[in-house]
Amino acid sequence: MRKGLTEFSIKHPWTTIMITVAITAFFAAQFPNMKIDTDPENMLPENEPNRVFDMQTKEDFNLSDFIAVGVVAEDGAFKPDLLNRIYRITSEIEEIEGVIVDDILAPSTVDDIRQGSGGAIVIRTLMEDEIETQQEADYILGRIKANPVLRGKLASDDGKAIAVFVPIESKDMSHRIAAEITEITKKYGGNEKYHIAGLPVAEDSFGSEMFSQMAYSAPAAMLIIFLLMILFFRNMKIVLAPIVVAIMSVIWSMGLLILTGNTVHIMSSMIPIFLIPISVLNSIHIISEFHDHYKKYKHKDATIRHSINELFVPMLFTSLTTVAGFLSLALTPIPPVQVFGIFVAFGIIMSWLLSLTLNPAIAMLISNKTLHNFGQTDEEHGPLSKLMHGFRNISGRRNLSIIGAVLIVVVVSAVGLSMIEVNDNPVKWFKKSHPIRQADEAMNNHLAGTYMNYLVFAGEEDDLLKSPEVLNYMEAMQNELVKDEIVGATTGLSDIVKKVRYELFGGDPADGVIPDNQDEVAQMLFLFEMSGGNPDDLFKFVTSDYTKGNLWVQLTNGDNQKVSAVVDRATNFMQDNPPPAGINVHWAGLPYINIAWQDKMVTGLRKSLLGSYIVVFFMMVFLFRSVRWGLISMLPLTITIMAIYAFIGYIGKPYDMPVAVLSSLTLGLSIDFAIHYIQRIRTIYRRNHDFNEAFHEIFEGSGRAIVRNVLVIAIGFVPMLFSTLVPYITVGAFFLAIMVVSGLVTMLLLPALSKTFKRTLFVAKKKAKAEAVAVQTQNA
Amino acid sequence: MKSAITKLILALVAMSIVAGAAVAQDATEIMKKSHMAYYYAADDGVADVTMTIIDKKGKERLREFTMIRLDEVDGGSQKYYTYFKKPSDVSRLTFMVHKNPDGNDARWIYVPSVDLIKPISADDKNSSFVGSDFSYEDVSGRHWTLDNHTLKGDSTIDGKAAYVIESIPKEAYKAFARKVSFIDKETFMPLREEYFNKKDKLVKIFTADKIDVIDGITTVTLRSMQNVKKNRKTTVDFSRITYNRGITADMFSERYLKNPPRKYIK
Repeated sequence: MRKGLTEFSIKHPWTTIMITVAITAFFAAQFPNMKIDTDPENMLPENEPNRVFDMQTKEDFNLSDFIAVGVVAEDGAFKPDLLNRIYRITSEIEEIEGVIVDDILAPSTVDDIRQGSGGAIVIRTLMEDEIETQQEADYILGRIKANPVLRGKLASDDGKAIAVFVPIESKDMSHRIAAEITEITKKYGGNEKYHIAGLPVAEDSFGSEMFSQMAYSAPAAMLIIFLLMILFFRNMKIVLAPIVVAIMSVIWSMGLLILTGNTVHIMSSMIPIFLIPISVLNSIHIISEFHDHYKKYKHKDATIRHSINELFVPMLFTSLTTVAGFLSLALTPIPPVQVFGIFVAFGIIMSWLLSLTLNPAIAMLISNKTLHNFGQTDEEHGPLSKLMHGFRNISGRRNLSIIGAVLIVVVVSAVGLSMIEVNDNPVKWFKKSHPIRQADEAMNNHLAGTYMNYLVFAGEEDDLLKSPEVLNYMEAMQNELVKDEIVGATTGLSDIVKKVRYELFGGDPADGVIPDNQDEVAQMLFLFEMSGGNPDDLFKFVTSDYTKGNLWVQLTNGDNQKVSAVVDRATNFMQDNPPPAGINVHWAGLPYINIAWQDKMVTGLRKSLLGSYIVVFFMMVFLFRSVRWGLISMLPLTITIMAIYAFIGYIGKPYDMPVAVLSSLTLGLSIDFAIHYIQRIRTIYRRNHDFNEAFHEIFEGSGRAIVRNVLVIAIGFVPMLFSTLVPYITVGAFFLAIMVVSGLVTMLLLPALSKTFKRTLFVAKKKAKAEAVAVQTQNA
Repeated sequence: MKSAITKLILALVAMSIVAGAAVAQDATEIMKKSHMAYYYAADDGVADVTMTIIDKKGKERLREFTMIRLDEVDGGSQKYYTYFKKPSDVSRLTFMVHKNPDGNDARWIYVPSVDLIKPISADDKNSSFVGSDFSYEDVSGRHWTLDNHTLKGDSTIDGKAAYVIESIPKEAYKAFARKVSFIDKETFMPLREEYFNKKDKLVKIFTADKIDVIDGITTVTLRSMQNVKKNRKTTVDFSRITYNRGITADMFSERYLKNPPRKYIK
């Protein structure tokens, strides 16, 4: 197989191309069946207990995901004109397809419990009709502030902000509905600012922006890589091959992903951006080798045979280590990450196969005339050669300084690693300047929060939630939770009971308490239903059989770290104050789901990273048949991972989903240069057993290829740094950092170590060789 | 010649207007008769009522109460008294309505656990009655003069010949934009009503599921309201129905809210 594939491609270039084109056409034909899934909830398997409970909670209390529309007017939002416009905006929002009209929370839809004439209890829509006077506007604000169920949620106490909560049938509609709402607010809007926030919008918008980003950044990276290769090799035709290899491996793996019925998730949408550079890497090594040797052989097929022969083993192993890094993702308990890992791994193997076949085939089709000057450029005095001389001089003469410097880097990195903070928030996947981030900030500054968590008090027994003991416990929990800086408001059945009782007794705050007997609780709730209260409103807080209660916990911040702190606070409270008998307390809601999968991801990825690190080490020991060389080969990888993650720790960037997943890429790619370096220096050394010759020559062939790769990939990913989506910026920065750091470590530390320990590393091998020769002689 | 045609056309137009008015008159007349037969049967009445509210998952909530009614003016003012028995945690809670078709109703509730009588706002006739799918208006009736009625044809419901009448509120109304009633041609009982919202989507369906003759008076003893939009349903079962008990207006006072008339309530 080693020779067969390449021989076939050399002899039948057209057939090779036709076969690969046919396979590509087959996989490309799958693209129309692409199903897109941008729901981060799918980060958890469908049957995962937290997710099952969340779905059950939504079902039990008829809850929907919602879009939060915020209106902020610095000079006061409670003015007749603005309230009337919000009134009209709300009625237009009701017409949007996919909006759950009955559950909209807006001044013109929510009920207020108040005192009517003769001390009657009145439950009426807060703003029944358009208003005329400032007095009426002030009255509405006053009612919101006096109602614990509405206060802070519908309007800020200073009256500068108003919120409209728009529940939607399914999360994947939120981007469209948000766009339609924006159209409506534009139509009615004045000087005030309109914001659209909420996790579903962030998540769904991320999904849709992600695809437009992909359509832009993948081709942009490809184009820059193409241009850089032309610059290096001065031949457009021959550098076409790596581009074709990259495109084909992307189409093959995406096609197979679709064919096997997988959805394209936030993760899998990044497959192309990962595959392109990885597959270009192999091709650059081949072309680089071809380029540097063509002038010697002057025959295409001979040069190709030489290049493939030299590179087959290192290319196989660099591909296998990268595959190991990505395949380890299949062991995480997060389905989209598994799919991502498996199909990137598949793509890498395909690109390895294609590199071995298409590069030779395309080279064979290029006329000798075109190649006439190939390999003549960039010689002795070119910038690349000067750079290589520099590396050779520094690592040869200052070998001990380099080792010392690396030790310092390792120590500094270890400190940085300990500073890493695990945190994530889908809203922060957008840049600060993005409207979604700005909406998030504005609304959460003014109002009780756009992140909704639910704390469910679940019992078995009917009417349990009417028990004063349970309601008092719920109230105590509320008092505990609001101590947290990010808890903007909590709302539960306790609040409704208290509010009804308060109004029933004529508005003395001392009466707004939870009754001390169950019948009175039941009668307060009955009074609510008799007075025009909508039973549907009630059943958002309690199931109709009163076995389960739902405390709405509104958060002003969706950072997993902060949400975890709230969850911990509740857990601690329950440890000190156990819930009443028969009551279990459990969380639900999108922010909670997010921390649930983050937990799994962080621990899962830690395990898989460690696992593949060990696998890669054994692969290296096997490849070099030497524990010493195996250990040395792991250095660039170890230092690169440490340095990159330490940097993340130092700058305080949260360790989020993209950062976590990128560890597998770092692991798979950072070792590649070391493999090429070690494999080559040992091959050269074996030729004459002359260390100085090997040390000199390593900076010629492999060194050039490594530097070319560093430059091509690093620069190719610069456009991604300007993306509006933070994960894309992160991916771009990682590629850049992986290339630069692992390239530098390979070109400086490995030669320095080779030089410093040349006796241990090379002499031992010479002895073995001598012994082998001796044995052979004896046998003969 | 020209004038003859004009005259003919004018005559035809006049005829059709008269005919149309006659049809409309018919429809309004039918609705009035139906309203009287259904909401104003006899002079007074007492019944035990079991209300079952069934949510979309099939979970049931029960309400049991005794309902006492007195008609003061046929087709006009009425008084209702309701004594709740179940759920047991609201037993002894009482509720009273003075219905006034020309103006606002008045409602009071007595809350036994705090021994307090409170007026309840009656502005919103469309709000739910004790959390069921029946609104206050569905229980005590919407006056026929509030809508324009049109006879749309005939139909048969459960083997009974029925008029099909479409009612459109004269003033824009939150509860429905259009209602189609199927009125029994013989007894004038509403057999079925369909309520449509302003998007002309079916939102609620009323059905008379069981009709009996009690003391010579045709009475719907089992009825239900299906909330199509929310996939919920409420059934109302009337039992121990008696008519013309000689109930007097003084029974519908605050005094009786606290001290229920044991004569009628078992």
